Amino acid sequence: MWKRFPKYRSTVALFVLAAGIVGFPKLIPNPYYLNVANIIGLNTIIVVGLNLLVGYAGQVSLGHAAFYGIGAYISAILTVTYGVPSWPALIVAASVTGLIALIIGIPTLKLRGHYLVMATLGFNLIANIIIVQCDTVTGGPSGFPGVPALSLGGWTFDTDEKMYYLIWLFAFLAILLALNLAGSRVGRGLKALHGNESAASCVGVPTKTYKVKIFVLSAVFASVAGSLYAHYLSFVSPKTFDIFFSVELVTMVIVGGMGSIWGCLFGAAFLTSLPNVLHSFDEYKDIFYGLILVVILLFVPEGLIVGVAQRWRASRTARPKDQPGLETDQAGPRDLAPPQEKVNIVGSFASQVQIAPCEPILRIQNVFRGFGGVMAVSEVSFDILRGAITAMIGPNGAGKTTIINLICGVYRPSHGTILFQNRSIERLQPYQIARLGLARTFQNLQIFDNMTVLENVMVGLHAKTNNEFLVSMLHLPAFKREETQIRQRAMDALAFFNLENHADIPAYQLSFGQQKRLEMARALAPNPQLILLDEPVAGLNMTESLEIAELILKMRSQGISVLLVEHDINVVMRISDKVVVLNYGIKIAEGSPHEVQTNEDVLSAYLGGAV
Amino acid sequence: MSILDHLPQFIVSGLTTGSIYALIALGFCIIHNATGIVNFTQVDFVSLGGLMMYTLLLSLGLPLILAFVLAVVAVTVVGGLVERLAIRPARSRAVIILIFITIGVSILMRGIFKILWGKNQMGVPHFSSETPITFFGATILPQNLWIFLITFIAVVALQFFFSRSRIGKAMRATSFNPRAAALMGVNVNRMILFSFALSGALGAVAGIIIVPITTLSYEIGVMLGLKGFAAAVLGGYGNSLGAVIGGLLLGVLESVGAGVISSTYKDVIAFSILLLVLFIKPSGILGYGDTERL
Repeated sequence: MWKRFPKYRSTVALFVLAAGIVGFPKLIPNPYYLNVANIIGLNTIIVVGLNLLVGYAGQVSLGHAAFYGIGAYISAILTVTYGVPSWPALIVAASVTGLIALIIGIPTLKLRGHYLVMATLGFNLIANIIIVQCDTVTGGPSGFPGVPALSLGGWTFDTDEKMYYLIWLFAFLAILLALNLAGSRVGRGLKALHGNESAASCVGVPTKTYKVKIFVLSAVFASVAGSLYAHYLSFVSPKTFDIFFSVELVTMVIVGGMGSIWGCLFGAAFLTSLPNVLHSFDEYKDIFYGLILVVILLFVPEGLIVGVAQRWRASRTARPKDQPGLETDQAGPRDLAPPQEKVNIVGSFASQVQIAPCEPILRIQNVFRGFGGVMAVSEVSFDILRGAITAMIGPNGAGKTTIINLICGVYRPSHGTILFQNRSIERLQPYQIARLGLARTFQNLQIFDNMTVLENVMVGLHAKTNNEFLVSMLHLPAFKREETQIRQRAMDALAFFNLENHADIPAYQLSFGQQKRLEMARALAPNPQLILLDEPVAGLNMTESLEIAELILKMRSQGISVLLVEHDINVVMRISDKVVVLNYGIKIAEGSPHEVQTNEDVLSAYLGGAV
Repeated sequence: MSILDHLPQFIVSGLTTGSIYALIALGFCIIHNATGIVNFTQVDFVSLGGLMMYTLLLSLGLPLILAFVLAVVAVTVVGGLVERLAIRPARSRAVIILIFITIGVSILMRGIFKILWGKNQMGVPHFSSETPITFFGATILPQNLWIFLITFIAVVALQFFFSRSRIGKAMRATSFNPRAAALMGVNVNRMILFSFALSGALGAVAGIIIVPITTLSYEIGVMLGLKGFAAAVLGGYGNSLGAVIGGLLLGVLESVGAGVISSTYKDVIAFSILLLVLFIKPSGILGYGDTERL
């Protein structure tokens, strides 16, 4: 049943969670557990938000305790010192924290890896010291007492039990919003930028904006949890928000399972209750805590929830027959040919205006790009013709891939202009160029390993679709409409490339040839005006090459302009309308395949000296 | 007296803590180069160096040099053990998992230190006399000079080790391309083990030479270690020269900043400078940006 109705799985799980939340206080023998449950709920809110940042977008922050603390202190100070009602104070706190996250996030999220870790850690340390030092406002190291309990319409949340329902209502909402976002266009965009930032940008994901937005969102989650914390304990102390708590929060994400919202709930519950469980070990409790953490990370690095689920599933699908889609693997190269009855995805989306060939769709004008002292591309100019196949050939190191990277915005030209449909694009970001109707494949395959086959194609439609954070999180009607379209379109694209049976397996499990087709499906799904194919037949056998060549011709017949970079001269000469030859970053010839084949400069570049 | 009169003093104390940061930063870099991770147990190598020194020197009454050597050896062994017991058996090679394993080990180690040495503060005598020397208006303790000297020796020895010795070269090869190094006959696992041991030794030296002029506790290395991490990032993570420059720079800037503004904001100043540098140059002073190849 689980397998047959996957889309009800999370709904059922949410109902189970809701029932568990309501039932828990009736089941416990001792009200002390409510206190622990409340802290778990607060941590769940933070960790669910943090998981979107760490698990989905792959940006590790060791500064989220600071956002928790800022939320708590703003709520405390506003309600106590300034007499602001508690709910407006919570909203102000969340807004201010979001603003701080935005200001911090814009420069910080330019950093990668360890630099990002250090910068967020530094921010946390600074925030903590400022809170301690501004003692006239914050109460300094001894903390800030006397925060009133929350109330709503005459109902005051003044006991552990009342607060329990409120905190867990928020935790439930946090989980719901995060699940919605994770399964949306935005969630796929975040996963893609985690997998490979440049490639994500090339398929249309605005990576920089997304990183900052998800950082701000996770900070707001933490701030709300902080406000609730302040009202719950009626006391705020700077010690609660130090860097060690930041570390603990990320640990909860990892122990639960990065990228698993349910894992967060578990991670928060496990690591919050662990010190209580270990309490009896007294002075040895740190040792056990560290030891348990190390053992989990050593042996279940996927996280406890994800790891256990994976192993359970693996044990159930041990027989090869049960593995979906894998049997077609043996079909060999023949399955590459697009069968006739499949939906023809090439050109089925946009209006197909017939335009006379020879008009350029993209013009490269005097483009120059150096790397350090090396001139990769030097004063190159040529046109890519609309509705035609333009090939770019040249020996290794001629600058072909550099030109592709210049066109799609990964590099910027040192000087020169690139016009796409008469619009200058050389200053645009890759995702903006993708939105104009330009798609590409990569010389070294850039499949998003952390996503399924279907998701890989769905993320390819990013440039052509619009659902953003709010629509996705709230599952507004617009969301469902577009999501259905995306899924349908992606399935069509997969079917066209005979990959539909593999839709739900992780993309890294595909064979090399299948991954090449997957990349093409991803590039063609949004029905681009111009597609840049970087060595599409490299590594394929002759039958497969011919099939790809057929497909490229088909793209042309549907009005898609093609820039083909390829070493396979047979393919190039057979299908191209125009060939551009590069050598050492300089264009040495341009013309029809026949003209180029007889050009002496080309012959000497390729065959070495006089022929 | 103006700030300027105090400047030599600030610089001397800045260079002293800066030397410690530099040694710790070097430890971070060596492990980063071998494995790509941030090893947070570096922090505890520093603590353990100081704690071992206390025990060997004061509890067991060993002579200074012997205590020094034995403390370094002990932490070197512990460094190797961390690699063998916690890094090598890991089922995942993902950087973030390995980093959090080191965080777990760090919590574990601190738990052990707390039991073995207790929570109270301890003192270790200076290496030689405590009579200060005045030099251009700055008061310098002989221990400051010991710190400069030992740091200098350690950095030079490390440089020789990496550029001249067979193992050092093999370790460098491993850091550039572990697979290629393995194909050339380098035992990559052993190089990673050595890098942990070497980082342990460097952390121990840092801890041993700083404890006479600070108060020793089981978690003395935490703040020093974080500053060492900051120094490594400041210099360009993984770059040894950057680590030394970053360490000395961070030490001096924080000392001068604390003197000019307020010592309560010492850490705020240090980390603000770090953030500013990173915002201007995202890969640190001497680092190269890592770009994804398409």
